[in-house]
This record gives sequence, structure tokens and C-alpha cells, in this order.
Amino acid sequence: MSFPVEFCVLSLGILMLLVDSFFPSIDKRTLAHTAIVWLAVFLAATFFLQPSPLWASPNGFYETDALGLFFKRFALVSTILTLVLAIEYAPVVERFIPGSRPGAGLGEFFTLPIFTCAGLMWMASAADFVMIFCALELVTISFYIQVAFMRRNMASLEAGTKYLILGALSTGFLVYGITWIFGMTGQTGLRGISTVLGMVPQASQTALLFGIGLILVSLGFKVAAAPFQFWVPDVYQGAPTPVTAFLSVASKAAGFVVLMRVVDAFLVAPALQAKLVPALGFLAGLTLVYGNLAALPQTNMKRLLAYSSIAHAGYLLVGVASVGSPAAGRAIVFYLLAYLLMTFLAFLVLIPVSKAAGGDDISDFNGLGRRAPGMAFAMLIAMLSLAGLPFTVGFLGKFFIFEAAMRQQHFVLVVLGVVTVACGFYYYLKVVRAMYWQPAPEDAPPVLVSPLTRFTAAFLVTLILVLGVYPKPILDFLP
Amino acid sequence: MPTLANYLIVSGGLFSIGLVGVLLRRNILIIFMGLELMLNAANLSLVAFSRFNLGQDGLPGYNAQVLVFFIITVAAAEVAVGLAIIVALYRMRQTTHVEDLDTLKF
Repeated sequence: MSFPVEFCVLSLGILMLLVDSFFPSIDKRTLAHTAIVWLAVFLAATFFLQPSPLWASPNGFYETDALGLFFKRFALVSTILTLVLAIEYAPVVERFIPGSRPGAGLGEFFTLPIFTCAGLMWMASAADFVMIFCALELVTISFYIQVAFMRRNMASLEAGTKYLILGALSTGFLVYGITWIFGMTGQTGLRGISTVLGMVPQASQTALLFGIGLILVSLGFKVAAAPFQFWVPDVYQGAPTPVTAFLSVASKAAGFVVLMRVVDAFLVAPALQAKLVPALGFLAGLTLVYGNLAALPQTNMKRLLAYSSIAHAGYLLVGVASVGSPAAGRAIVFYLLAYLLMTFLAFLVLIPVSKAAGGDDISDFNGLGRRAPGMAFAMLIAMLSLAGLPFTVGFLGKFFIFEAAMRQQHFVLVVLGVVTVACGFYYYLKVVRAMYWQPAPEDAPPVLVSPLTRFTAAFLVTLILVLGVYPKPILDFLP
Repeated sequence: MPTLANYLIVSGGLFSIGLVGVLLRRNILIIFMGLELMLNAANLSLVAFSRFNLGQDGLPGYNAQVLVFFIITVAAAEVAVGLAIIVALYRMRQTTHVEDLDTLKF
């Protein structure tokens, strides 16, 4: 049964915009709560979709295989969590948006993630460069608006400008890369390209490698891989916090899906494989080292999470570099799922804390263990899982990735990975130290947490711990 | 009669001019022009490839030509959003120079 879930999400977004403009008296938070309920309904509906095998669909543009279906759910879940964060963050947004009436601009703030979600879901199923390009741009352009959303806040505007320029630059690379691949193979569909490459494996190597290289650069921008990571810290720090979380989870995951599909299509030719795998391994190693080392001296929580997001892109790239192994795809998907849980949990705690303290510094977490024990515990779990402590989902994610890399004999990458994990413990535990061993300032305002946020945080903590001990149900479920 | 190579050289030139503009110029509006130039370089070579490399049935690859229309549309959307952000920035800081963007530490 086919069911256009992307169009449903798109219609929901348009409907929300209409309601927002024609009924200005409606409370915007109610609108967001309604959107969450509808997205949950769509999420449930995707379980009635039947995945069709990748190369079997009649239409070369759009594939509903198991991987695509999984990432549609991933996009829906991360959009729901982003909306929960956005509701918590709404007062801050209101402060930085000029408007004649209270809540002006909030409607758009809650609606834009929904359009992004539709783009992410199209990206998950895209099997043709035309489709990949359009979906990617829907996601990227809606992110430009979201990053620069607080237009009376210099940091947000500056982050938006930087993201705009570097995002558009990566679009330029992507398009030019697609051009050369089309020129050499005469195809834009990934299936067509791998058929052509299978027939003429030696077809003008240089031009083809040039095209693939440009596409790797552009996807490297999207997934925040070094040396294309320089926009990440600034944009993550300046963007509204829910958008930062959305950007670091959903945008990265969609980038990895496209990367996996593109790399898969080009691995048919052994000559290309011999060049592509070392290139990916090099990117992975560089990203691991850069992300983890640069995170060490950070004092701003959002910047720390930005570097941690670069570091996690490194572990995921180790998985992509081991694509030959059948376990690699599953390892990447599991890692992304773990990354979703722990990153959103960290941001869920960060928003109320920074709202109370008025800043995002790690020192604002001082004494949180006393001031808000529940939230401090949630942050503790998130940090331990991000660091990769056993019995959390983050540990299993790294374990599966390294296992896949061992099978492909990427020993250097595994050693590098293990060393950088140790490095990661240092900066993640800095936050834990601030929460439990540093005294709270005398005049620390109370941390107020809404019931919805509290419930979501408890849910995420439970999932991280349960899946960390007993991952079998989710592993059976993964594509 | 221009050949495929002529078109590719022009398109490569446009792409390089755009890239150098993005990397070297300091005014955000000029940088934006460079970005547009890069997209148009891709458009030119896409159409050239599609026109010169005919398929077995003697027809050009139409997917590429459709992609060109999508690129034009997306570029327009990007400009709309981008200029809005730049205008908002100008209202806050009265500047369009990248050196003045120093709120976030590097």
C-alpha cells in the first residue's frame, strides 16, 4: 500500500500557516500541541506502509525501501521532539521578534520544522539526483530561515548569514558534481548510474572522480565532517536552541542517508571503490580527531554540543567507510538512533537551565544536582551516553560501528576511534562535574520545567537505558 | 560551431569566478552573486552535456534539462530567503561586510 506521508506533513504545515493567519487569537502553543498530535498520527500511519526492495520500484526517483521508511519515522520523531523543545523555548523567541501583538512570529516558528520534516522524508526516499537536490534544498532553505529566526538577536542573525553563505556554497558544489556525473554517465538516477558503471567500469575516471569529490564535499558540509565543519560551532551557538537540536540530529541523519545511497551506487566499479573508501576513511579520521580535540577547551554548552556533533559525525563516517561489510548499514542506523535520543535529551535539559540562568555556559549548570535533581539526572544520562559508557545506548552504537570497521580491517580508524572516545569522556564529564561537584551560585533562580518536557525527558532517559541493556527489539526492527 | 569542450570551458570558468568571488570578496552581496554564478555554471554544463551526449534513441537526457529548471527555481528561493536575512542583518548592524560579523567567537 502506498501512502504519501510527505504530502500529509506538507498539508499539515500549510494548514497551520492558514490557521495562524486567519485566527490570530488562537494560542500558538495550542497550535504546536495539535501539530505534535498530528505528526504522531502520521508516525503511526507509516507502520502500515510496506517497504518495497530498493531496486524493484518502477519509478527511479523515489524508493520506499526499508531504509527510507526508517528515516521517514526518524524525521517525524525528531520533528515532534523539536516542537516539544520549541514550545519550551517560545518565550525566548517572543523576546527577540518584533511584533505588534504578543506571540507574533511564533506560528511560523512552530510551522517551519514541519516543512523541513517533509523535505527530510523526501530525502530519505530520494534515489535520483534531481530528487536529492530538490529535497535537500527544501531542508536547507527552511533551515536558513529557522537559524536566523530571532531577528532582533545579533547572534542568531549572524549564524543565519554564515549558514546561508556556506550552505549555498555547498549547494553549488553539489550541483556542479551532479553535472559531471551526468556528463560521464548520461544518467541522473542512482540506479541508472550504477548500471552504466557496471557496464563500462573504466569510463573516464578523472571526470567522474571530480564529480564524486564535489558531491562528497557538499555532503561533508551537510553532515559536518572535517575539513568542512567550520560553520558548525558558530551556527549551532547562534541558532535558537530547538533549531540547533533539529539541525544536529535530523539534518545530519538525512545527510548520512543520502551519503549511504550515493556511495552504494558508486561502489559497483572496483576502481572507484579503491579511491572512494580511503577518501571516506581519511575524512572519518580527520573528523574524529578534530571534533574531539576542539571540544576539550569549550566553555559554552551549545558550542560543546556542536563539537560533539562533529565528533559523532566522525564515528558515523567510520561506519560509512566500512560499507562493504553487511553490518555497517545497520550500525550506522543504530548509531543515528542513539544519537537522536541522547542529543535531544541534552537539549531538553539545556533549554530550561539556560532560560533560568540567561546563558548557555557550562558554569550555568553549577549545582544543578541540588537545584533540579531530576533534570540533572537526565543530563547525566545524556552525557554518559554521548561519551559512550557501557549500559547506555551510546556505547552500543560505537561498539557496532567499530565491529563493522574491524570486519573491513580499518584498524587505524578503530584505534583512532577508541582513543578519541577516551578524549570524549573528559569534556562530557566536565558538564557532570559542574552539575554535581560545583556549588550553585547564591542567587540561582529556580529551574522551571513544563510537564510535557519532564515527560519527554523521562521517556528519552528510559529509552537510552533500556536500549543500552537490551537492544534486541530495535535491532530486529532496523533495516 | 562550438563543441562540448567550449561549453565546458566557459562553465568551468564561470564556476571558478564564482568560487573565487565567494572566497575572496568581503561584501555579503558580492559573495551572494558569486554563489549564483556557481549555480549558473552548473546549469550551462548540464544543458551542454544533455545536448551533446545523445542517448541511444537520439534524444538528449531530459532529466538534466528538468534539473536545470529546478536549479533555477531553487536559486530564486534561495535569493529570496538570503536577501531577507541580509536585509535583517543590515537593519541590526548597518553593514554587509563579513568582517563585522564577530559576535560569535571563532
